[in-house]
Amino acid sequence: MEDLRKAIVEFAESSKKTKFYFKDIEKAVQKVIPDAKMREIKKACTSLINDGTMIYFSTGSSTMYGLKGRGMTEDPE
Amino acid sequence: MAFEPKEPQKELKYDETRIYSDAELNNYTEEELKNFKIKHETPDLDELEKGPWPSFVADAKQGALHRRKLADDRMLIERDVIEDMLGQLQLSFDEGETHWKHGGIVGVFGYGGGVIGRYSDLPEKYPSIAHFHTVRVNQPGSKFYDSHFLRTVCDMWEYRGSGLMNLHGSTGDLVLLGTTTEQLEPIFFELTHEMQVDIGGSGSNLRTPSCCIGKARCEWSCFDTQALSYELTQYYQDELHRPAFPYKFKFKFDGCPNGCVASIARSDMSFIGTWRDDIRIDQEAVKAYIAGEVVPNGGAHKGRDWGKFDIQKEVLDLCPTKCMWMEDGELKIDNAECTRCMHCINVMPKALRPGTDTGVTILCGAKAPILEGAQMATMIVPFMKAEAPYDNIKEFIEKVWEWWMEEGKNRERLGELIQRQTLPKFLEVMELPAAPQMVKEPRSNPYILWKEEDVPGGWNRDIKEYRARHKR
Repeated sequence: MEDLRKAIVEFAESSKKTKFYFKDIEKAVQKVIPDAKMREIKKACTSLINDGTMIYFSTGSSTMYGLKGRGMTEDPE
Repeated sequence: MAFEPKEPQKELKYDETRIYSDAELNNYTEEELKNFKIKHETPDLDELEKGPWPSFVADAKQGALHRRKLADDRMLIERDVIEDMLGQLQLSFDEGETHWKHGGIVGVFGYGGGVIGRYSDLPEKYPSIAHFHTVRVNQPGSKFYDSHFLRTVCDMWEYRGSGLMNLHGSTGDLVLLGTTTEQLEPIFFELTHEMQVDIGGSGSNLRTPSCCIGKARCEWSCFDTQALSYELTQYYQDELHRPAFPYKFKFKFDGCPNGCVASIARSDMSFIGTWRDDIRIDQEAVKAYIAGEVVPNGGAHKGRDWGKFDIQKEVLDLCPTKCMWMEDGELKIDNAECTRCMHCINVMPKALRPGTDTGVTILCGAKAPILEGAQMATMIVPFMKAEAPYDNIKEFIEKVWEWWMEEGKNRERLGELIQRQTLPKFLEVMELPAAPQMVKEPRSNPYILWKEEDVPGGWNRDIKEYRARHKR
């Protein structure tokens, strides 16, 4: 779990973007940890949400993840 | 079977939960309403009140007057919220463009859906709707409420929100329209801890499952729609609240092919009750319909005289597969040819009933238009039993999700993925055989693409030689 969390945060910090689809996170993590399973990556994302490291961004129809305080404000785009 | 909740339920008593007195709830007269003007000029909205149908503008004005007359400490968001909403709507009519901004990071802790951020892009002009977030509340199965629950929700929403509600949104939720960010957590607490309802789905989540009235009131229901909807809602809580799908995903449950929740058109995975044995026929009742002793259609069209009931014209000739006929005064049905259109059962409900070996047909891929236009679902599983604990259904669902989550692009619905990768590919992944019923129109969407290993003896085919004679 810890290595997945680390891979997610590293990807999110290194990207030019501030908001990520889950699929993009999954692909990025699997580049670093090839045998990482989707369910495990989702659990790691959820734990990052629960401890406040990441936050959800929702347009209402689709949802993205982002690092708290990094380009994500309460206002919509 | 009696409803068995996953958690103990307490009975809600409005007398214990109410916020407003009767005097506060009925705080204006008809005369005051007639003379009431909101603080903005709204000529186009006023026009909308003049038509023959009930108008949301009239409802909103009642809400606005009600809020004007409440005491300051009887609401936690701005008094003028409805008036500003109407004012901004008028401006949008004038300018032909919206002044709402959607989305953002608002939500309740741990949930990735159920709250949709909304903001005015003219907060100086309409300060009361600077925040105007939506909360989706997961409706009870088949939308069975009692007045204690509805009055409790209404009081809470008047107090912590605008008081404006939409019963119900397209997905089925109660939609609470317009509140501020700081009210979201208290609203969530009261909904879940006092009213024992959860918030619904939004974003890239499983959306709030929705079902028809089912066996609660309808004798045609071929499975317990409420039980399946409730079970899948509880079982897939993670999918409902923590988004990891490429896009939205909707389940809907119709107890019979009459399709009262229109699952075939409105859900990525549609469950429609059906039977695999024969339609039950009461020949005496058939005779009673023919003799005019029983009103056809359950009396649904008796407002005018349609003449004597004619079984040939009104039932047999209208059967889409012509699988019914009269023989020696008895109604006969070639059940193998029945497509479950429900017409004969609807016309003669006393004489005809669905069979007793019941279950569901599962269809996949419907959606309303955003990216590629409206699309109806395709029949994938002709028949499956639908009995608790529904392991067979869960297994199918998870197989579909696994493929869609692996192959689907961001913001691609299941139906679009099936279109892109083809139906044969989907069937191959699901390990299901193709069936003629999956063809929309013969010769326009043939789905049989033979593979060499499927054909005894294989084949010899030189594509270069073929292309030499057939240009692309």
